[in-house]
Amino acid sequence: MAKIKIRQTGREIQCQNGANLLDALLEAGIFVDNPCNGKGICGKCKVKVMSEGVSGMTALEERLLKPEEIEAGVRLSCMAEVTGDVEIGLLLKERKHKVLTKGYVPEFERDTFDGGYGVVIDIGTTTVVTALIDLKTGEEIANASMINAQKRYGLDVLTRITYEYEHPDCGIQRLQEAIVNSINGMIEEVCLEANVSPKKLREIDVAANCTMMHMLLGVDARAIGRSPYKPEFTEAKELLAGEIGIRAAEDTRLYCLPQVSAYIGADIVAGAYVCELEKERGNVLFIDIGTNGEIVLASRGRLWCCSCAAGPALEGMNISSGMRAAEGAIEEVKITEQGIHYQVIGKAEPVGLCGSGILAVVKELLRTGLVKKTGVFVKKEKLGEQDYRYPMLRMDGTKREFVLCEKPEIVVTQGDVRHVQLAKGAILSGFAALLKQAGIRMDELDKVMIAGQFGAHLPAESLIGTGILPGEVEGKLVYVGNSSKTGAYMALMSEKVKREIELLAGKMEYMELAETENYERIFAESMIFPG
Amino acid sequence: MSSKEELLKRLSDGVVDMEEDDVAEAAREYLDAGYPAFDGIMEGLVDGMNRASELYEAEEYFVTDVLLCSDAMYAGLDILRPYLPETSSEEKVTGVIGVVEGDTHDIGKNLVKIMLETAGFNMIDLGRDVPLAKFVETAKEENADFVCLSTLMTTTMGGMETVIKLLDEAGLRDKVKVMIGGGPISQKYADRIGADGYSQNAVEAVKLAKRLLNIA
Repeated sequence: MAKIKIRQTGREIQCQNGANLLDALLEAGIFVDNPCNGKGICGKCKVKVMSEGVSGMTALEERLLKPEEIEAGVRLSCMAEVTGDVEIGLLLKERKHKVLTKGYVPEFERDTFDGGYGVVIDIGTTTVVTALIDLKTGEEIANASMINAQKRYGLDVLTRITYEYEHPDCGIQRLQEAIVNSINGMIEEVCLEANVSPKKLREIDVAANCTMMHMLLGVDARAIGRSPYKPEFTEAKELLAGEIGIRAAEDTRLYCLPQVSAYIGADIVAGAYVCELEKERGNVLFIDIGTNGEIVLASRGRLWCCSCAAGPALEGMNISSGMRAAEGAIEEVKITEQGIHYQVIGKAEPVGLCGSGILAVVKELLRTGLVKKTGVFVKKEKLGEQDYRYPMLRMDGTKREFVLCEKPEIVVTQGDVRHVQLAKGAILSGFAALLKQAGIRMDELDKVMIAGQFGAHLPAESLIGTGILPGEVEGKLVYVGNSSKTGAYMALMSEKVKREIELLAGKMEYMELAETENYERIFAESMIFPG
Repeated sequence: MSSKEELLKRLSDGVVDMEEDDVAEAAREYLDAGYPAFDGIMEGLVDGMNRASELYEAEEYFVTDVLLCSDAMYAGLDILRPYLPETSSEEKVTGVIGVVEGDTHDIGKNLVKIMLETAGFNMIDLGRDVPLAKFVETAKEENADFVCLSTLMTTTMGGMETVIKLLDEAGLRDKVKVMIGGGPISQKYADRIGADGYSQNAVEAVKLAKRLLNIA
């Protein structure tokens, strides 16, 4: 065992000799910025090493760190191994100058506060976002985001639920500890940044998907993972933050937003509230695109909703050269007669494709006829050697693939296109099933609201060009940003909003897609690409 | 008037091209011309379905393409089947198939069923979210030769092991082969729970069934 001492707080944590420094810090709930999830890509998880006790500097760090940083003892914690007792200085993450998009916030009446602070949290399966709010002014004064530490129990909700099945004695507790530790680390971080004592926190408001909410509160989530997919609770919860181990003041309240069903959680209810779907006069569709695509259709005062398993392809996972949206990720692609053009995040050497990149490629492959409507690559011999597209296709045995970049090699395989196609089919089929239920045609939709951090990076031309959304909604898309966090924010600022959100959750009608008549046929038809 | 060969080709092509209406029309013309229903099914519809599975193996066709092909095949089958001479289904090898309890995802299972039926197996489909004991009861009642279990979710995989145990307890394990498949399933898992085989997709499932049951 080795001890890691944190210089700023004087706290000491224990870890195994040979442990990864980033993992050890995250496990102890200490916030370290890590957008690439410890892959050694982003160069953000910097710490200052003040003593002996870690492995030597790697070539990768020499490349990603500035000479003056190396001089000062800065290391990338994901590349360092703990070899003995060590003292670490935390570095506040670099403040980006661009203002984080708050997304759309409707006008609402705030309660009056004489002071104090609040925290809003959006717990996603992958990412957790936290913001510190000055209650008196209603302003966000600091924010932080990090990878959900539950990831070591599985990347998706089902795998984490399976962990509970396989560890009946300790699974629920471990999953709760992981997320509570993350939250404590982030609260510490935002409070430190704004120079606010956590003792001044009056209330913490949380929006999350249903599984994450169960796990946060230490409630058995196993029933969510099996038909009939019935959660243990859907109502809003109010308790003391300390009851689940969140470090704040003794009387800090914790408010968890209400949910609809196992696969329509508080995050979606929050989104429906923020987008004022209930008040809409026309036909409006709300969609949060992620590993699960959740869709709400508002029409004549009624709200129908469903959830579809899109899989992680749209987030760049399951894709042969997929990666997170970090430095080195290709995010935009154009195919022209002159060749292939692409845009890389951070203007760096391309490393792989992130979600928006893979969608952009597929859109271009469809537009140029390299991929046919059925999702299959065109036969190379059908193109003719003079065709500008001819050299872009390559054979891997009997399988065709698209060479996006030769050095370093980045290709898009038939399997990659199929993964995107499955995701597209799942989302569009949910879309189609809801419209059918409400008796509305695609062209009768007045507005489509795209929520979620991930959706915000998907341009309309990719969404429509790949047929995730049908051509009929072109020009009707509105991006609303992280409406889950916004909903939590509004709940924090107003008791009236809390009651309204609770009423709204009760009104949302859930539709189980798998049980829809003819779903298989709707799904098969939704798989066909536009062309 | 089209010749028998022309009509068989239309049936086969119609299945490959997923043209439900064309297949139905060709099937009616085929009957009107007085050709035997059995050949129409085997050399027309099933031939088309076999071509579709070859395209699927070559990654040319995808799951949903094959489902649409099978819609076309069944459209033809509905028309031709009533004209088949009476045969007893006892000669056929019988399989029981279903999605295990707790899971409602059945597209993969449906595809496997279609492929096995096309290959001549008599399949009894229990549907999805099937109580585990139901597999064993049905296998016993129907004197089944094999059982196919499917699931897409890690949370319900464990049910497959239970079915094998229940078959064992019912004294059926030696008589019934167990095949498993689905998103989270692997050969390793099949070995661990003592299943007779695992197949990664619907085309392989047919080969696996034939191998396990010693059918050429």
